[in-house]
Amino acid sequence: MPVAITGVGAAAGSLRCEASDVADAWGTSARGRFAACAADEDTLTLAWQAAVRALEAAGSDPGSIDGLWWGTPTPPFGQGPSRAYLSATLRLPDTVVGAIVSGTDTCGVQALLAASDAIAAGRCSRALVVVSDDVLPGLGSRHEHRAGAAGSAFVLEAGDGPAILGAATTRLRPVLDRYRGSDEAATRDAYDGRLFREEVFVPSVVGAARALHEATPISAWSLPDPDGRLGRLIAKEVGAGEPPSAGPYAAFGDTGAAAPLLGAIAALGGGGTVGLVAYGGGETVTLTIDVNGAVPGADLLDAVTAEGRPASYATVLRARGQLSPAGEPVQMGVPPGGAGFVRGGAELLSLHGARCTDCGTVSTPPSVHPACTGCGGSSFEIVDLPRAGTVVTFVVNQTMPAPFEAPLPVVIADLVDGTRLQLQGLAGTAFQIDGGIELVLRRYARERGAPVYGYKAAPAATRGQG
Amino acid sequence: MWNQVAVVGAGLIRFGELFDRSYEQLAKQAFDAAVGSVDHGFDPALIDNVILSTQRGTLWGQEGIGGNTIPSAIGLNGVPCTRVENACPSGSDAFRIAAMTVASGVYDIALVIGVEKMRDKSAEEGLLARAASGHPIYNRGETAPVLFAPFATRHMHDFGTTREMLGAVAMKNRHNATLDPYAHFQQEIDLDRYLSSPLVCEPLHLLDCCPQTDGAAAMVLVRADRAKEFTDAPVYVAGFGVATDHPALHEKQSFVELPATVHAAKRAYAMAGVGPGDIDMAEVHDCFTITEILDIEDLGFVEKGKGGHATLAGETALDGRLPVNPSGGLIAKGHPIGATGVAQLTECYWQLRGEADDRQVATRNGFALQHNVGGRGSGVSVVNILTTNEG
Repeated sequence: MPVAITGVGAAAGSLRCEASDVADAWGTSARGRFAACAADEDTLTLAWQAAVRALEAAGSDPGSIDGLWWGTPTPPFGQGPSRAYLSATLRLPDTVVGAIVSGTDTCGVQALLAASDAIAAGRCSRALVVVSDDVLPGLGSRHEHRAGAAGSAFVLEAGDGPAILGAATTRLRPVLDRYRGSDEAATRDAYDGRLFREEVFVPSVVGAARALHEATPISAWSLPDPDGRLGRLIAKEVGAGEPPSAGPYAAFGDTGAAAPLLGAIAALGGGGTVGLVAYGGGETVTLTIDVNGAVPGADLLDAVTAEGRPASYATVLRARGQLSPAGEPVQMGVPPGGAGFVRGGAELLSLHGARCTDCGTVSTPPSVHPACTGCGGSSFEIVDLPRAGTVVTFVVNQTMPAPFEAPLPVVIADLVDGTRLQLQGLAGTAFQIDGGIELVLRRYARERGAPVYGYKAAPAATRGQG
Repeated sequence: MWNQVAVVGAGLIRFGELFDRSYEQLAKQAFDAAVGSVDHGFDPALIDNVILSTQRGTLWGQEGIGGNTIPSAIGLNGVPCTRVENACPSGSDAFRIAAMTVASGVYDIALVIGVEKMRDKSAEEGLLARAASGHPIYNRGETAPVLFAPFATRHMHDFGTTREMLGAVAMKNRHNATLDPYAHFQQEIDLDRYLSSPLVCEPLHLLDCCPQTDGAAAMVLVRADRAKEFTDAPVYVAGFGVATDHPALHEKQSFVELPATVHAAKRAYAMAGVGPGDIDMAEVHDCFTITEILDIEDLGFVEKGKGGHATLAGETALDGRLPVNPSGGLIAKGHPIGATGVAQLTECYWQLRGEADDRQVATRNGFALQHNVGGRGSGVSVVNILTTNEG
């Protein structure tokens, strides 16, 4: 039975830094630019944003998704509730099957293949595959000015669709090839770029691509480009010209696990056979996708490319937590491991309100409202709050102790169902009374080692009508 | 309440950053001032109940202040003492509760004392740390100005209130404080300095905000029929009101009104049998300039939306139609939270007795109003009305 891609989505870290800005700090030179996560973004928020867009593009109700695979080398909790969190933020059923695939930069493609296999085996019928990547490059390391943060998402279903997953191959070699390690400062072994290029990367990728092309003539390629130069070399060897994957690489840098799939999305707008080659961790993986028509959501990649705001190297370092002010940050009053988050975790991540069955007022969050704020009644139904609304009033807080960073907008908004909510606004954005907003998932804090997530208000104009 | 409870003594210390004195020393000084102010003399042993107001023991390192802290510090070990903590109106609510313990007939003579140490910790470890308290998402980043600045944004949008109008509040209260020897700040500010002060929480700037202040204040309350034992000029408790409102900003119906103030004022006016037009002067909660504008509207002194215009026109100045915050208010006199309400009531007591020296206002009707509002969502308000009129 064929497995179809019915919708795709993409997201990238909202900071855009010039590679030369990083290189200048280390007395070297570099070209290009990369996308980095803002202080409130990480692999969960990237995954969420890409997935929301893919579900919207596919026209799929989150409640209809019964499989969730997440490929990421850096899940927000090393060993923890990462997939449960992502599922809750996307309002998927709590019975959704799947797994986190991790460990190499091929994990995104492997997640896609695992979901496809599960559909083919009848384990699920409509799967969401999310890939997100945000490594913490070592200071002064060779990939620091290249490591990008981005996410991509695919809705897969059994049966026909605008794009059908084809054959896949895997080839393993036990070589040490940390060209893109996370927190690389901990690994002090010398890294030989020439050795990697000549003996590992080029032969592996070119060999796999040629074999793929011989088996199935490829009309559009997604090819790896870890350093901004190897991609051209590979494309030339394969005769791929300027592959569609060059676009996302130019905009976001090397987004690791997300890159092969962003490259595929760039090729899903037209027809023909897309050939994807992913490399990482001694694994070379290939996949073909037969495209019959434009895949919903693929055309939005350009808009994602245009998002983001320019950021200096210092801003990126602060956002990554590699440059932080002296002194003790103020601790959150509610410990992330405490009962407050056990009671109130799901309602926060899924953005629930308590709608009074007597007067209709929605009180938020439900766990602290045993009585209706409108009429005092105590009969409720738990509802999913809409993620769009308008500004009632707002402030911009300029004076807070660490770990808070000024300027911090705080917004009171009326959501489209009439629910009034107080939320932080995205840093670097401006609000006005009656202006449209949408709610986006962000990391509010990294508290005592654990990330804490909630929704923030983003001006609707910056991301299209939400 | 009329003529059941009388104030016969009141005192405070000069507010400021009192790094050189302890919490207990502040309390003792205010207590001595109040006791020493009683016209016919007063034996502290007569006190048979104490109500203490301290809102944030955490700001000076003692999380567990109990009712026993103050009796020991003021030399009255053993006396009944209860601590009241009710957000920014803690002091005014302590006064109300002390008055009720006398009005109930259980006690004849009560002491209300408010003490607060705001500056034993740095701002970052003290009041600003509340940015991380409360609900981990919906309150995150909510320092004190965030509670009031959204009202400024909306009031400016809806009524054309300007920064010059907010500045008129700041300049008036700074001026009044130059005439108040107990005030934290005793210098005038001009419009240029106001307008150029740095942003704290847009749209509020530094000179829109009250300072962090250490302070203490105390008052002696007695059964009204015994008042003349202590003074020939007692001031009576005419009425009070307390009201609450939802604690989250997103539970507010309006961002140009504080319903807790409206309802507390209605209850106080009804108990006192007076209206806003009968009030000679008021000490109101001006933690931020916008708060005073909201207050004078919500207390019924001016029409909704006209608070900024009225202030700019001088209606609330010392010689205006209804002087507001002759003491300098929270903005200039300071806001040692637990002591604030008691100190405001002390100013009302002095004004009604004609003892306010260069800042004395005309008291034609003999009624003074004191008001606080605060807490999350500005959800607690207390209004007390004092009078020199005998019922």
